[in-house]
Amino acid sequence: MAALAAVSERQKAFELLRARLSAKPPALPVEGLIRTAIPELDLLLGGGFPAGIVATLEGNTGCWSLAAGLVARTTRRSLVAILDDGSLYPPTLAQAGASLERVLVVPVRKAVAIARAADILLRSRICRLVLMPAVALRDVVWTRLASLAHRSGVLLIVIATHAGAALQSAAVVRLHCVLERIITHGQRGLWGTIAGFDLCVDVRKHKYLAAGRTACVRVGHEEIFDAALP
Amino acid sequence: MPPELWEEMLDALDAVSPLVDDVRPGLAFLDMHGISGDAPMWIAQTHRTLLRFGCALRTAVGANKIAAWAALHVADGSRCEPGAEGELLAPLPLSLLEIDPATIERLRLLGIERLGDLARLPHGPFVRRFGAAAASWHELARGIDRRPFVPRGHAVAIEASIFGEGRAADETQVFFALRMLLARICDDLERCGKRAGALRLAVELEDAEACTLDVPLATPTAHERTMFDMLRAKLEGMTFAAAIVGLRLQALQLEEGGEAQALFCADDLDPQRVAVTIARLEAALGAGISRAQTRDAHLLEERFTYEPFEPPPRAMLEKNQTQSELVPQLRLLEVREVPVLLRGGEPAVVDRQAVSQCVGPWRVAERAYTSSPLSRDEYDVVLENGTFARIYRQGSHWYLRGVYE
Repeated sequence: MAALAAVSERQKAFELLRARLSAKPPALPVEGLIRTAIPELDLLLGGGFPAGIVATLEGNTGCWSLAAGLVARTTRRSLVAILDDGSLYPPTLAQAGASLERVLVVPVRKAVAIARAADILLRSRICRLVLMPAVALRDVVWTRLASLAHRSGVLLIVIATHAGAALQSAAVVRLHCVLERIITHGQRGLWGTIAGFDLCVDVRKHKYLAAGRTACVRVGHEEIFDAALP
Repeated sequence: MPPELWEEMLDALDAVSPLVDDVRPGLAFLDMHGISGDAPMWIAQTHRTLLRFGCALRTAVGANKIAAWAALHVADGSRCEPGAEGELLAPLPLSLLEIDPATIERLRLLGIERLGDLARLPHGPFVRRFGAAAASWHELARGIDRRPFVPRGHAVAIEASIFGEGRAADETQVFFALRMLLARICDDLERCGKRAGALRLAVELEDAEACTLDVPLATPTAHERTMFDMLRAKLEGMTFAAAIVGLRLQALQLEEGGEAQALFCADDLDPQRVAVTIARLEAALGAGISRAQTRDAHLLEERFTYEPFEPPPRAMLEKNQTQSELVPQLRLLEVREVPVLLRGGEPAVVDRQAVSQCVGPWRVAERAYTSSPLSRDEYDVVLENGTFARIYRQGSHWYLRGVYE
């Protein structure tokens, strides 16, 4: 009886060990990481976004601000393409440090056209980063885009308020942004400025790292923050 | 003189001498060394050759450019004998040397009005006073011309065509024909040691219609695959009403020499690939691919413009050292009127959402002296649902302009 209990204990320990080992994510490829220029986010992602994947930035506020930082960093050495549904505002992108002359703005509004443009850009490999708004596409289209991104080594960032099931499964990295607080500078009214905001970014999915990790990111002009915060 | 007419005249002058120095429209020098005949015969032949163009023509003969130019000013058909250049030039005005008017005025104040006066000046002091260009003027005034004779390049027409060999009703057949034409064109380019900066494709249809397609290449090339990719990308966006019965392909903007290549160029940006991708995107979407430029303006919407995206040069993109900063990104929305409730003169409820924070107003007044003046007050508001928006009041109406994301 005691021997049976010992076997059972060993089996439990073995099962536990196996569960822990299988839960361990595959090693993060260090080469080809695309750094975001946001130290908190780079730390959260283990150095940056892996190249050649589909990643999502989800949430109501902050996604484009994070994406702009990534664009600014990437345009230092290569081209970036933005599939624009008409809402892009280049002056704030330039304020973020992006070289606008290295940003291809592709005007597209329909879902099919967005998918087609992303397809052409991924296959061409002229850009290291492609940004697109989330649109309703079939699973097979997301899978195709993911495989094209993988083959070409281009990072495809999809910006969504909420990612659909098809996009969720195609994405290798999913980040979710939640607005923590707004920071104002000066008094209310004419002499006030909204200095920026604090974002809480959590990793909802990561192929190479454990999900559920969180980071706080501050978005705004540093000099205004310095003046706004005690 | 229209440039096309001048080019035609220069082409015609090839019959008089193979070496023609095209100085500017209306003026050319011909090198007559080794051409049989004498000066009167050459002048007569030149007149006969250019007679059909119906232009007023003056010709003269000299041992060098300045001698011929001076003889031309003396009389049409005159000749400057070798050694007599100084004598011929002496009574002519300073403007013959194309000296700038300010310098001519300075020289005139010094009593120098003719080329003979200039030639008599001591070379060293004159050059020290009037600069390096004065050395050339002094020599020219004495009939010494060291300017090189630069023969114009002869236009090489590189083209290939297919006509009367059946009809192409689907794109595969057209692409096959294009490959054949491109192979011939690239062979010719290689043979001439040239690269093409653009292609022109003329398409003839079965219904007697014809269209021409100009395809600029990002950098001049003689590479068949690159040219084919560009042509295919352009054709992908076109539809033809009838079957194609003829194709003519021309290589344009020919340049000398080969294409620069780098040994370690794996990470280099290839402008041809960018150009092909842009052409493909434009064909697929029917819209131009652009890049943004910012500019100073009061209105949000006018603080940027778009211009066609141009591929950067082949060399690896230089590292841009601009500091990046996380900045709230404004996203422009379709302008729509929103209901706003005010409290104490400030927005308190926007689009049925309570305002938790509000800054502004910032007044923008534009076109005050026009028939359509514009004045609006802009606010940044944070709503209770977390939306961070830019709204504005124009007259008595409120509008949502964009949200910060």
